[in-house]
Amino acid sequence: MKKTKLLLTVIIALFLMILSACGTSKTSGTANTTGAEKKTLRIVTDASYAPFEYQDKGDVVGFDVDFVKAVGKAAGYNVNVEHVGWDPVFVEIKGKTADAAISAITITDDRKQTYDFSIPYFLSKNEILIPQNSDIKSAQDLKGKVVAVQNGTTGQDAVEAIIGKNNSNLKKFDNNNLAILELKGGGAAAVVADNSVVETYVKNNPNDHFKFIEDDAAFKKEFYGIMFPKGSKLKAEFDKAIKKVISDGTYEKLYQKWFKTEPDLKTIEAQQQ
Amino acid sequence: MDFRWDLIEQYAPFFLKGTLLTIGFSIAAIILGTILGLLIGLGKMMRNKAAALPFTWYINLFRGTPLMVQILLIHFGVIPLILGETNAIVAAITALSLNSAAYTAEIFRAGIQSIDKGQMEAARSLGMSHVQAMRYVILPQAFKRMIPPLGNEFIVLIKDSSLAQIIAAPELMYWGKAMQGQYMRAWEPYLTTAFIYLVLTLSLNFLLSRLERRLATE
Repeated sequence: MKKTKLLLTVIIALFLMILSACGTSKTSGTANTTGAEKKTLRIVTDASYAPFEYQDKGDVVGFDVDFVKAVGKAAGYNVNVEHVGWDPVFVEIKGKTADAAISAITITDDRKQTYDFSIPYFLSKNEILIPQNSDIKSAQDLKGKVVAVQNGTTGQDAVEAIIGKNNSNLKKFDNNNLAILELKGGGAAAVVADNSVVETYVKNNPNDHFKFIEDDAAFKKEFYGIMFPKGSKLKAEFDKAIKKVISDGTYEKLYQKWFKTEPDLKTIEAQQQ
Repeated sequence: MDFRWDLIEQYAPFFLKGTLLTIGFSIAAIILGTILGLLIGLGKMMRNKAAALPFTWYINLFRGTPLMVQILLIHFGVIPLILGETNAIVAAITALSLNSAAYTAEIFRAGIQSIDKGQMEAARSLGMSHVQAMRYVILPQAFKRMIPPLGNEFIVLIKDSSLAQIIAAPELMYWGKAMQGQYMRAWEPYLTTAFIYLVLTLSLNFLLSRLERRLATE
């Protein structure tokens, strides 16, 4: 009897320890109190979105990673980018267990209610990926067709604006690769996703005989931002650093490296005002 | 922590639809998987080693590879070959049944082999054929012993059906993910779906324990 009681106490104690560990901020450990040394920021991402962020043999690399490191340096911080997955990105920022997140996150009014965003650093828009013989000519033609998207993306929002929220013709996948596989398998008539994803796919897979169409009327320009917990002091420092990284040419160099084209700096800078 | 009940309310109709599909999936897969599992289990017990080999390897393959990969393969590879296009619901039921069959096959084998050899000898000496002895003497006794492990398997199957969200089958977990994607909130959808899965498995548990009591001999 005594033994069971002891065991029970130990189990409960362990359980409580685990629970309390969940509640404490993980960043507190990395914070440097000496002041002289640079503080290391924990930045989270979902590294499954090449070329923005992906894992190269276990290392998180990509445009976003290089960019946030440059911005962090300009703001006077060491930056540690960690892959945690898409859902956990939002959990970590909301719970303040990470300092910031960069993961090709589009700035939207809905998201602004719960999080803070830096000034925009990237211009993007959605495009429609279809087979070459498809009769879809514009976003309006998606009505009545089965469309595959990545769950929780602005591509999903854009399609829902046309065919209605939670329409059964809309198939939401965990990532764009699966959505495109569904298009290849004949389970969907089109995929709506970011231009960088769609264009890279068409370029790299000529044997699939896919093409993409733009529809500037239906798909608005989107801007990516670095996401912070609400009320984070980092936002002001990072905004200044982003402007610096863009004006000194670092941004353009990184953009060239990862996308092999020139950025539309005018549109981005106009949005930063 | 702020918990937005109003969001759950908005998604309640979708959770209901998803729950119904999850129940449908699970029942179909439990029935198909049990029938297939019985055949495969009997197949593996055949005296002829060469004839038993395909059944052994069926079990090895489906028990030894991740269900998520099986779902993806069946959805994107097998079903388009048969139907001409992908169909998430057919793929999910197929994958879950085939996977579950591998586990139930072993449960059947264990149940049958746990019955004393003397039972078979006695039945045969009464003039029953091997098939009759199996059907009237061995299987009824074995079935009683198989209920707890079968219950285990069915509960795992109900929860594993959530993996079908990866092929966008609109079951319970799919709507949980959809809600998460829409509002960028994790706990409202995930705790709600977890609670519904718990209710489903508890109900199944209740049914199984009633069945067990009815079959009890003492």
